[in-house]
Amino acid sequence: MPRERGDLLKDLMDAVFLMNEDLAVKAAKEVVAAGYDAYDAINNGLVAGMNKAGVLYEKEEYFVPELLICSDAMYAGLEILRPHIKTDTAVEKHKVVIGVMEGDTHDIGKNLVKIMMDAAGFEMFDLGRNVPLASFVEKAKEVNAELICMSTLMTTTMDGMATVIEMLKEEGIRNSFKVMVGGGPISQGFAKKIGADGYADNATNAVDIAKKLAAKGGSSQGRAK
Amino acid sequence: MLLSAPRASTAGSITRNMDQRTRLLNVLRRRGADRQPFICPGGMMNMAVTEVMESNECRWPDAHLDPQMMAGLTLGSNRLAGIENVGVPFCMTVEAEAMGARIDLGSLEHEPNVSIYPMNSIADIDKLARLDPNIGRTKVCVDAVRILHKEAPDIPLFANLTGPISLATSLLEPLTFYRALITNKEAVHELMKLVVRSLTTFGSALIEAGADLVCIADPSASGELIGKRAFSEFALPYINELVKHFRKKFRIPSIVHICGRVHTLGSALSEIEAESISVDAVINIRLLKKLAPSKIAMGNVNTYLMANGRPDRIFRDGQRCLKAGAGILAPACGMSTKTPVENIRSLSKAVLGAPQNAV
Repeated sequence: MPRERGDLLKDLMDAVFLMNEDLAVKAAKEVVAAGYDAYDAINNGLVAGMNKAGVLYEKEEYFVPELLICSDAMYAGLEILRPHIKTDTAVEKHKVVIGVMEGDTHDIGKNLVKIMMDAAGFEMFDLGRNVPLASFVEKAKEVNAELICMSTLMTTTMDGMATVIEMLKEEGIRNSFKVMVGGGPISQGFAKKIGADGYADNATNAVDIAKKLAAKGGSSQGRAK
Repeated sequence: MLLSAPRASTAGSITRNMDQRTRLLNVLRRRGADRQPFICPGGMMNMAVTEVMESNECRWPDAHLDPQMMAGLTLGSNRLAGIENVGVPFCMTVEAEAMGARIDLGSLEHEPNVSIYPMNSIADIDKLARLDPNIGRTKVCVDAVRILHKEAPDIPLFANLTGPISLATSLLEPLTFYRALITNKEAVHELMKLVVRSLTTFGSALIEAGADLVCIADPSASGELIGKRAFSEFALPYINELVKHFRKKFRIPSIVHICGRVHTLGSALSEIEAESISVDAVINIRLLKKLAPSKIAMGNVNTYLMANGRPDRIFRDGQRCLKAGAGILAPACGMSTKTPVENIRSLSKAVLGAPQNAV
């Protein structure tokens, strides 16, 4: 006799925010065995748990190590549930290009943002660290991204963000993308100055801002190809 | 070549009362000084700018490999830019390389960074080499300190050490390391012990060659990243082990630099044994003094302002830091290599008219 859907969703959620990978795997397997909707289990179980972890992170009860272990539990559950998503329930994801500016190899913040946005349902294209500025533009055009997210920890490399925005303008495609920036030395004021669309000071905040920007959408005129 | 550079115009008034070495050491030992020092230790707290590299012909990346150039570049920063100290090295990769990391030496403008980590998991501790101060770039640093000690005995000479957590995250991918803080505490402590042993060896070799004081910068241990609990368990005891060792064995004072919003660390901050704590620009010096009242507060002029601001703005920001209670004036973080010498000199002038009672 399979357990109730609600019980399993609660287990999935608890497994993620209480950092229990084994429980995430066990509950995910039960969901599949019982024939419950995998998409529902992901969103209302695993992702809900990750959101709860995000709240604790914002309250400074959780930090990077905790958030990482939560995300490991989430991914362990996702791996089991993903093959069982019915194609008609799967929705088109917002595409995001993300990377750390050229000259900077600090990628902890970028990786956290990537995990949180992935959990929130964005499709992430990760360029890694020390990314040549033109690659942001090229990749965004190639995958027809909606958002470009740039991160840096160093004051030396901040100005590269403005250069990327200039490159978009020069190609006449600035309005095709929303640009988000973040990282240690970046501020709302700096983001505004260089003409970025959004700034976030931590990974959970980045998800909120990205959702808002994605809802507004890049204007369709001038969209690459 | 070393001594040919002209002195900054502020040098005359600096030497009026006290030499730079006596002043900084007196401040750290609370023996009183004629005014606050203006320093930029080196290491993570980068002092090297391309303008000095060019005029002194001691350029990155070559200066990371040659003791004469390493000494020449830091002396040039003292004489041309008005930074009242010298120090080695110019990066955070010397110790990691000595323990087995593969390093990309960067360029004229960009600091070296780790390209390949020697460990794949926290259990890979046997893949690490033991730091030997007599070979490779550790030896370059030791030799540079010998030169500086001889050439510039009245300038305080920093041994810059990579903080224990930052060294650990240069040996193992940072996120893998951070996971282990929760999933494998025992193995983390084993790694930290090894890391501290290497740092003790390196620091001792630099001090024996003539370094006057130690600066430990541990950006990967910032409170925002790991939180107070993990900081107290995995960073604080090892930072303190280093500080106490150098004080007990060599009577050498230490400065610890912590990045980010230090208030996350709360009371743990005052448990750092170092004489002085240096903080990021996001922290008001007044807050630092409240959180760690027994420490000399060091800081904290925004390095973006230093690189891009007008000299008079930078001067005023320096005065603001001093007024807030900074016992040592310094940039809040490593300076960009593109920072104009004029801007650094402008900041160096902020200490000249500073009130003595703040020291």
